[in-house]
Amino acid sequence: MKAGFVKQLKPLLDTVAEQMELYVPKKTGEYYIYTKYDPSAEEPVEFNNIRPCATAKEFLFPVCELAAIFPEPSEPEETKPFAVFGLKDCDLRSIEILDKVFAEEEFLDPLYVSRRRNMFTISSDCFEPTENCFCNLCGGEPFAQSGFDLNVAEISDGFIIEAGSQKGQDFIDKYSENFSDVTDAMLAQRDENRAATQKKLEEINAKYQLDMPLKEIVESGEDSDVFDEDAKDCVECQGCTRICPTCHCFYLYDTKQKDYFAKMKMWDSCLRQSYAEVAGGQNPRKITGDRIKHRLTHKFVYFLERYGLTMCVGCGRCIETCAGGIDMREALKKLNEELKGKDRKKAKVSK
Amino acid sequence: MNRNPYQPINGEIVEIIDESPTIKSFVVVPEEPFIFETGQFVELTLPGEGEAPFTPSSSPTETEKMEITIMKAGRVTGLLHACNNGQKVGIRGPYGNGYPVDDFVGKEVYIVGGGVGLAPIRSLFLTLVERIKDFKSVVCRFGAKTPEDFIYKKTLFGPWQKIAGVDIRLTVDEAKGDWKDNVGVVTTILEPKDVKIKDAVAVVCGPPIMMKFVTLKLLDFGFAAEKIYLSMEKNMSCGIGKCGHCMIGKYYVCKDGPVFTYEQVKGYRDIWA
Repeated sequence: MKAGFVKQLKPLLDTVAEQMELYVPKKTGEYYIYTKYDPSAEEPVEFNNIRPCATAKEFLFPVCELAAIFPEPSEPEETKPFAVFGLKDCDLRSIEILDKVFAEEEFLDPLYVSRRRNMFTISSDCFEPTENCFCNLCGGEPFAQSGFDLNVAEISDGFIIEAGSQKGQDFIDKYSENFSDVTDAMLAQRDENRAATQKKLEEINAKYQLDMPLKEIVESGEDSDVFDEDAKDCVECQGCTRICPTCHCFYLYDTKQKDYFAKMKMWDSCLRQSYAEVAGGQNPRKITGDRIKHRLTHKFVYFLERYGLTMCVGCGRCIETCAGGIDMREALKKLNEELKGKDRKKAKVSK
Repeated sequence: MNRNPYQPINGEIVEIIDESPTIKSFVVVPEEPFIFETGQFVELTLPGEGEAPFTPSSSPTETEKMEITIMKAGRVTGLLHACNNGQKVGIRGPYGNGYPVDDFVGKEVYIVGGGVGLAPIRSLFLTLVERIKDFKSVVCRFGAKTPEDFIYKKTLFGPWQKIAGVDIRLTVDEAKGDWKDNVGVVTTILEPKDVKIKDAVAVVCGPPIMMKFVTLKLLDFGFAAEKIYLSMEKNMSCGIGKCGHCMIGKYYVCKDGPVFTYEQVKGYRDIWA
């Protein structure tokens, strides 16, 4: 795959925006959210040093959408091509996770598949991880590893643009006159930047370093009161599941329109009290602690068993948003310590 | 383009049968022949109101019309109970794995059912009876709250009991009217000699508490966990293993079930809730 160097980002984004709708991060208050790119805007394009607070899933799996109409069915419209700039490695990996569910299963979700096929992903390197970022504990990096069309790495006097897919390569080829060669010195600088961010992440998460695989740690939660402890702080706002880039619970509901009936697909949350309740009133997860446990076990155990990926990318948005101040890392660390304690006990017994 | 899995097939209710004070069977004619395996389920939509999962109670060999037995238990089922003939409905599916009938060949099939749990069992029963010679025997033990709570009374109390190769015993929690048969929960009519356990498979469907105690009793009799087939009914919404509502541990009941062996699910503590 090719890479090229540009001094400024704006002409590149202008070129993308000529071809398709482009969304870029914009700092609003403390956080970045995505807005539609406006080439005529006077303020410069922001290179987001950190992931936006909004997630990539909103582009592929909107909060609420029309799933089907009947009795006369209609073919869903094919999505127009669109691009998103400023995705981070955690965002790219969250898309990979959602792909498993909606685009690579026996049953394809046509709404998701159409958007996914038409999405052009432009990722960028992280420079300023937040106190809540923990991608390094979940196999992530502060720079794109795969799954991007183009990646933008900022260096001192410009940007290295790297292609990560055929679509991205075609783009660089087509506009090759706008790119200059990437030198070894530029790559060295990029790698230095990346190492510096990795170091920051390690410092941020120094006290949460884990000694066992996440799967084993979370599985051991079955016999622990860790999740019931979290439940005491949980106000059941479901914010974590909404802002999580990989959470994908939804429910279908029916509406009556003037000339037709519609089936709608809307985000749901497994933390909701009646989420799994059946009409007869039985509910497998009546108490909050059980629901928190189920959510994390799904992320670190069940999803891994089913799809070979951990369903958490360590973006820390759940920590950032939690009204009860729950930090998933605390539970993981506590379980890790409990597990270590058990192992020591076992070792003693066997002696 | 793949078929939109959220798109229902249109259908119409052509007959409604009162089964018990709280249960009705709906005969639904789908717009196109509907092919399913016994034990699989469908999502039945009442247009504009909502949908709910049900396992058809008719035989899969009948593809022109399908019978769905529904207990009034919540909002959608309440609205369905208020419907009349001619009501338009939507059908999605069939979903999930049904009963592995071919694996039952040459064996004794021990069927334990309770209440509206007889609905999926009826479909299985009709399927087995169509090729009854393939099985050593079909032994049924069914329970209901009171005699009038039994569904499929017309066939259950008469014709089914006369089929060669079929052995049926019934029980009620509470006797009423001229009930002469057993009184007690369904586990009170389960006996180790009902079937040759080494040569048998068990199928259980009913309320969660009944499924739990029947399963424990069957294990007690010496049934292997992988020979006990359970119809797990959870809050299936999408039907295609995505929305998450019906998860038991790592399983999506809608896609990996609804029929599971006890061996598959025994490690998860929330299965009976």
